Amino acid sequence: MNLSLRTAVAVAARSVTRSWPLDSFIAINPVADLESMPFDDAPAALRTTRPVEAYRADYRSGRISFADVEAAVRERIPEFGSPARAAIGGVTVLPATLVACDLTLPPNSADPTPVQQSGESGAHARLDHLTAKWLAAFLDPDPLWRMPGADDGLFGVFRRLARYDPDLTRRERRRLDTLSPTADDALAAALIELGVTAERQADVLHHELAHLPGWVAHLKWRADQLGDVDLTSYLALRFCLRAAISAPLSAANETAPGGGSSFRDATLRATQIVRSLLPDAQVDPDDVAVVRGVLAAHPPADHVFTWQRAYEIHYRDALLEAIHEQANLESTTPSSEPTTQVLFCIDPRSEGMRRHLETNPSVETFGVAGFFGVPIRFARYGARGRIDALPALLSPRHAATEQPVDPRRAARHTAGLRLRSAFSATVHASENSVLTPFAFAEASGLLYGVVTLARTLAPGMTARLRRRAAEALAPRLASTITIADAFTIDERVSLAETVLRMTGLRSFAPLVILSGHGSTTTNNLYESALQCGACGGNPGDANARSAAAIFNDPEVRLRLADRGIVIPEDTVFVAAEHDTTLDTVEILDRHHLPEHCRGLIADFDLLQRAAGEALVRERATQLPGASARHRPARVRRRAHDWAEVYPEWGLTGNAAMIVGPRAMTRGVDLERRVFLHSYDSAADPDGTGLESILTAPVVVAQWINHQYYFSAIDPERWGAGTKTIHNAIGTLGVLAGGSGDLKQGLPWQSVGFGHHLVHEPMRLTVVVEAPLERIGEIVSRNQVLRHLFDNAWLTLIARSTPHTETPSDRWHRYTPYGWRPWRGPHREGATP
Amino acid sequence: MSTLTPMTKIEVIVPARDAPAIRELITAAGATGFTSVSGVSGIGHSGQHSGALLFNEFDTLTMLITVLPIEKAPALIDAAREVLGSGSGVMFVSDTAVSRPDYFE
Repeated sequence: MNLSLRTAVAVAARSVTRSWPLDSFIAINPVADLESMPFDDAPAALRTTRPVEAYRADYRSGRISFADVEAAVRERIPEFGSPARAAIGGVTVLPATLVACDLTLPPNSADPTPVQQSGESGAHARLDHLTAKWLAAFLDPDPLWRMPGADDGLFGVFRRLARYDPDLTRRERRRLDTLSPTADDALAAALIELGVTAERQADVLHHELAHLPGWVAHLKWRADQLGDVDLTSYLALRFCLRAAISAPLSAANETAPGGGSSFRDATLRATQIVRSLLPDAQVDPDDVAVVRGVLAAHPPADHVFTWQRAYEIHYRDALLEAIHEQANLESTTPSSEPTTQVLFCIDPRSEGMRRHLETNPSVETFGVAGFFGVPIRFARYGARGRIDALPALLSPRHAATEQPVDPRRAARHTAGLRLRSAFSATVHASENSVLTPFAFAEASGLLYGVVTLARTLAPGMTARLRRRAAEALAPRLASTITIADAFTIDERVSLAETVLRMTGLRSFAPLVILSGHGSTTTNNLYESALQCGACGGNPGDANARSAAAIFNDPEVRLRLADRGIVIPEDTVFVAAEHDTTLDTVEILDRHHLPEHCRGLIADFDLLQRAAGEALVRERATQLPGASARHRPARVRRRAHDWAEVYPEWGLTGNAAMIVGPRAMTRGVDLERRVFLHSYDSAADPDGTGLESILTAPVVVAQWINHQYYFSAIDPERWGAGTKTIHNAIGTLGVLAGGSGDLKQGLPWQSVGFGHHLVHEPMRLTVVVEAPLERIGEIVSRNQVLRHLFDNAWLTLIARSTPHTETPSDRWHRYTPYGWRPWRGPHREGATP
Repeated sequence: MSTLTPMTKIEVIVPARDAPAIRELITAAGATGFTSVSGVSGIGHSGQHSGALLFNEFDTLTMLITVLPIEKAPALIDAAREVLGSGSGVMFVSDTAVSRPDYFE
């Protein structure tokens, strides 16, 4: 290996953010490499906010108020909240008000528009096309024809086969005929041929990695996780092609010119502000000078970031007001002795189900990361493959599988699965070889035609028939997860204690349901994006079942009792799965249920059915093509409709995360926009539970939030564009059309409808109820939190305790310079 | 002591997400092995770093330790410096000695 070249590649690739493949879609912040710098300092060329005109439209519609803009200015420039600085026409005016006028008055000159990237030249477009073609051919996990010599790695196979590439001219192919045998040597030679000096190598490579960002992000993930390809091989391939087709090096990105306004422009804006404040008076040049001085500290390039903050403040203030008012809602108080407790995932979609279930006072709900603290690599009994059912922040270390309860039934189940697998393999082989498709179409065309019609015209009925047929062939198998093999008894006790400490669950109802979640969808390449993020883009049933087994283990309970946590003998933990497309909560592992809790389960079944139907009706008001008047069954049919691009909205609209007891929010309609993590600081005296919440569930929620944010900000660049033209490359990702870059982020159908955004792109507001000093200590000792909160990628709001009137216990906003009090909408920092 | 062979020890502490790149450089420099310690804690230029986190291995620090012959060290030192120059992380270089030099060459 060539060390100096590898160094240049490592330097160039350090800012590339990894992207997970489609089958384990993990939401990420596509510009995570920028988190070490303030959000507002992101390069203008990246366009990390919507255009100014979009915010102005929100201002005109009332979505942003003048007071929101003033508050945003005060947050960005705290000294502008002081009244001492500006006097216009003898009247003292807050500088923040002057800046807010600057933003909200109709523009008298064009806003600075981002410099458009010049269009790629024909040679560069061709280079992208060729590179993407080779990558897709090499990395496709399920190709029709396996690439000859694929074992030689990406560069090896390219070196061997490039001479046969029909997309290259004979002269170009000849130039690729004499490549060095290793990627390192070939890359070094190509760089020399292109005139790149050693000093410029890292810059040139960095710039090259900005092309095809989707493929590059996937390659970085792949290099770390699978190791079958690396970025040096990729760059060798790309630069060898570049040299062969004589595509010159791209010019370095030109940065947008300053964005600062001219003196004349500032004078015009200042004059306009003075005129708006004193409409009946002659404009005094001294007043104009004062205003111009204020505006100089807030140049037009900053406007868009103030607008974005104002947009967020509007939502944040309404949320905090709703929590404040909730304290007066007596009707939402749960029973002092609930009969059923349900632990849901923190996912915002759980909020709707929790709210509807809690209309019954005998139900108490909690929120916790949906893997229930049990990170497993899980293989279903008799199934091929395995899933990593754990957050992407962890590496899989504990493998679990299923043990059938009835061996005879298991044999039938396995035989049925084999038959189904053989049938699928035969159909697949018939469809994909050269001649058999003709015979296959002749033989089965009529049958497939009928099935296709049925799936199209009656998707719900077809799905029921298919499910019955599948169960007849391979009957459902009662099984137990081998959790005792995956974790030692000490580990299991520790996992159980951690979940209880993080959620504050201390007194137990007779029935405790652990509800993971999954989503039923059909013909949806982005199915993983609708599953549980805490379970690595998989349904959470395996984790819920594992956790229930741990909590029901008598030895675990005995050891928990030694640690002061007493679970009553008659309390039963039961696993369940919330289907977020159907809004049903299905009890799992019913064969494990003891007789004495069957009555409670039957009551819960009725309760969840009513709650689910109410929730479906609620969601129907927002789903395209649905209506609250539609029967729930009609809305649920979307789960099985293979033409439906909006089976559900997923986490669209997510905007906040609340870490605290459910008493803060019970009874408040949070519109399924808030991640809810239960936490009781009294049950976590040393703060380790809170540290785990802030460094894991909050981080995962932040990844999800930013994935939605950027997919909405620029759907073509950070998002995957419309689903309707997607083609899958195996399970790696999708292309828009037949070739090109691997698409990143979420499809348009996750963030918008028609030509309008449905997701409101807002950075997550994290609301915590815990002692401020404790939160401050945790933030100060974790770099990831310092980056996110100090650099305003997230906003942190906290209060020490509820229901007190002393100023120190009201809401506070975290800033790098300490906590600042929040005393209601737009009165932050005012004198008490 | 006289039977020991002098070598150079290089310790690099970087965010866990950057560790694969450093590991690759260690290999490319001809080192025959390395030790990786995940979840290290301490206080550095940019503040405090807690150690291992319960549910997040991605945002912790990793310390990579390698020992290699003195003549091979400068190239790796230069390479690591260049990578560390573009982000957070520290490197310590020290003289050390080993009893079985053939393991390291």
